[in-house]
Amino acid sequence: MASDRYKHLYEKITEALSDTKKKELLLSCVKRGRDTRAARLETLPGGAAFRSDVRAAKERCIEDLPRLKKLFIENARKRGVSVFEAKNGAEVISYCLDLARKHGARTIGKSKSLTTEVIELNHPLTEAGLNVVETDLGELIIQLVDEKPFHLVFPAVHKMAPEVAKLFSDLTGKEVADDIPSIMKVVREYMRPIFLNCDIGMTGANIGIAETGGICIETNEGNARLVSSIGKCHICVVGMEKIVETVDDALLMIMAHPVSASGQLPTTYVTWMHGRSELGESGADSERESHIIILDNGRTEMRDDPEMREALYCIRCGACMNICPTYGVVGGHTFGHIYPGPMGICWTAGVHGLETAGDFAQLCVSCGLCKEICPAKINMPHMIAEIKHRDAKTKGHLLVNRVMMGADKAAKLGSATAPLANAALKSRPVRNIMEKLIGLSAERKLPPFAATTFMQHFAKRTPTVKDPIKKVAFFVDVYANYNDPKLGLAAVAALEEHGCEVIVPDQDVSGYPSIAYGGMDQARKIARSNVEKLTPWVKKGYGVVAIEPTATYALAVSYPTLLRDNPDARLLADNTHELFEYLIALEDETGQKPNSALLAGKRFGFHCACHQRPLGSGNGAMAWVRRLGADIELIETGTCCGMGGTFGLKAGILGHELSSAIGEPLFKLFKESGVDAVVTESSVCSIQLAEGTRLPVYHPLQLLDLH
Amino acid sequence: MTYDFTSCFEALSGVVHQVNSEEAAAQKIYEICQQQQVSCLALANLPEAFIQQIENYCGGLKILKEPYPSESLPLAMDEAGIGVTGIEFAIAQSGTMVEVSDNDAVRLVSSLPRTHIGIIYKKDIIDTYFESGSRIREIISRHDRNVVISFISGPSRTGDIELKLTLGVHGPEEAHAVIIEDH
Repeated sequence: MASDRYKHLYEKITEALSDTKKKELLLSCVKRGRDTRAARLETLPGGAAFRSDVRAAKERCIEDLPRLKKLFIENARKRGVSVFEAKNGAEVISYCLDLARKHGARTIGKSKSLTTEVIELNHPLTEAGLNVVETDLGELIIQLVDEKPFHLVFPAVHKMAPEVAKLFSDLTGKEVADDIPSIMKVVREYMRPIFLNCDIGMTGANIGIAETGGICIETNEGNARLVSSIGKCHICVVGMEKIVETVDDALLMIMAHPVSASGQLPTTYVTWMHGRSELGESGADSERESHIIILDNGRTEMRDDPEMREALYCIRCGACMNICPTYGVVGGHTFGHIYPGPMGICWTAGVHGLETAGDFAQLCVSCGLCKEICPAKINMPHMIAEIKHRDAKTKGHLLVNRVMMGADKAAKLGSATAPLANAALKSRPVRNIMEKLIGLSAERKLPPFAATTFMQHFAKRTPTVKDPIKKVAFFVDVYANYNDPKLGLAAVAALEEHGCEVIVPDQDVSGYPSIAYGGMDQARKIARSNVEKLTPWVKKGYGVVAIEPTATYALAVSYPTLLRDNPDARLLADNTHELFEYLIALEDETGQKPNSALLAGKRFGFHCACHQRPLGSGNGAMAWVRRLGADIELIETGTCCGMGGTFGLKAGILGHELSSAIGEPLFKLFKESGVDAVVTESSVCSIQLAEGTRLPVYHPLQLLDLH
Repeated sequence: MTYDFTSCFEALSGVVHQVNSEEAAAQKIYEICQQQQVSCLALANLPEAFIQQIENYCGGLKILKEPYPSESLPLAMDEAGIGVTGIEFAIAQSGTMVEVSDNDAVRLVSSLPRTHIGIIYKKDIIDTYFESGSRIREIISRHDRNVVISFISGPSRTGDIELKLTLGVHGPEEAHAVIIEDH
């Protein structure tokens, strides 16, 4: 059974959730990453606009990689550097072993390098009798406890000072007080002779520059400066995707990386190495060697795979970890093989294979936030969906995921049999059976079905608008159709009030659950069908207005990637609008003023659904509510509420329980805010927020009936 | 200038001293040595005349300077409590000192001692981060074999234990910039 496969994952999640201290540290780590980044963007000229530049540079350099790599190699060799192209980890290992033998090396001082972590280079070197010492403090701690990085930028963030003090006490045989300054003093003393005496210095490189043949290494501790200057031999292991074309490209990456990771500009130290320098005046030809190993290890295949190529745009900033809702509560030992977090799923698939990635890919709830924070705008949600899809081809889908992918059919049936279906949804024994059979959480309060759907109501209406100023094709999706047709009708009424002609063309559901759970054949089929049904209206001058944030996201963001070669998908995306962005623009255009006394004195907290982030971020809805006289403020932790579409409706640890754990900090903010109610446009977030905050939760349109 | 190097470097826990001449800079270096009770000082990347002024002021101290014999490195450098290096140019926006070296001894002077002092001539401070591109390209093309350009933006730092910012884990715990106004 597919679920047996995840037993180990469930255990690890359970363990992670029960370790309160570790969870707190991780949360403060990721939150600080988000906050310091956001603070830097406030003062950075152009704010987040650099993401477009990084994206464009990465697209260009990866497209041109074969030529740039050749140029890089030529230029590096001109500077006396030995360059070796390694196909895989094994070739790196044997090259390094040969070098160590040649130099009679005993100690290798290493500066943090995820690339060498991924090929697990340390182990065979140690086996061969070499003393391999990680010099980045976090990596050193991880090495001493023989663990994998918990976070990309802060690999040992889960270790508290007393634990670290004990480690160094055991290592040095001296008493180490457990305050951080005392630990640092011991670390400095312990590391100094290692730096001074290492035979080989090994580093990664954040960047290779084709036009100069140089590499750039970024650190905050300064350890890479030491290991790259002292040892007789310097070895740099660099992934081939790190090669950029120009010095200006390099400057862009040197800025984007720390800004995205921790709001720094740039890291404390950036070493631009071009060739190897002598150390002091030897008077004779220097014997100091420089080796650059360019690693492929699956990268060529990633580049050749149109669905996976973007993985090569990653600059290893860890920002996706800082915003990923599930990573933020379970951490890298659960959410990762070696490279943790959302990009870790993509990277693991490319380097360690689909199955290894598939073992933890279920942790992705497809909220899409990783794409919105990524400095290279990497479409991780799409890549992860594709990985889940390919993995399921051999391993099958979890039953509960299949149920969620077919939720629209269940809703259709529920609506057709409404009185019975609603009684069943309310019956605990029935729900317990459903939980057991199909994995739908019995604890979740679900919205009842409507006996008459929105579509049926709409068909009976007669159009009221003559001489329309705008023509709207309304997209309703599942919830407003089968559960709350009143909401859909209110949206239509609001559009008509502003003089829009509203039609509801033949349409399918958005199909986003199929993307979220990796049913990509089905997702593509639905996308194609919707594009075929809706684009003719766009071509006739209709704008598509959708009421559900996730549906809007599917049409405006997901479809063009799903249907890469279909220009109509792009056309539909460009003409799809969020309801309230559209209404606000209409109000501005027509000058029609809403009743600004309607909600006077009311105070609301707005929850922005993740899928609105690349669209209007809820600003339209908030402005719309404000114009009705209410106070409304965005209340956010900066990540997801935990619902993750239908993820939180699933029973158990990989569903409701994890979903609630993610939501806790947000629930707390809402409860402490003193607002009268929560306002959100998402039908699923509202279930989560009602349960977690115990506050009333409204769709903005429902506020019209409040007064 | 849109940005102020001093405030940006200080925001990164760096220390800035503004002086009017090389002589005043030499005096400032001596003061820092006195404050930190340092008995050995290492110099690199500095003009000969300036080195002499430092030697004049720091008469009682052991001064290591170029050319460094390779046999004694890096151990000899470990004795220095303060390292002073000449800075090619500085970037105000990011609070960055840009050090250029074609000998790794220079890098040891700015990375092994507990305190690093960078010497910047005021005319060499550029405003924005991206302006550095043309200078970097020029430096690299000037050296057709080996060259290392080091961006130094404050002292060595880590947040690896409990995310608490701690200075000087491997490299300098203090980073000073002495800006010489008149040259």
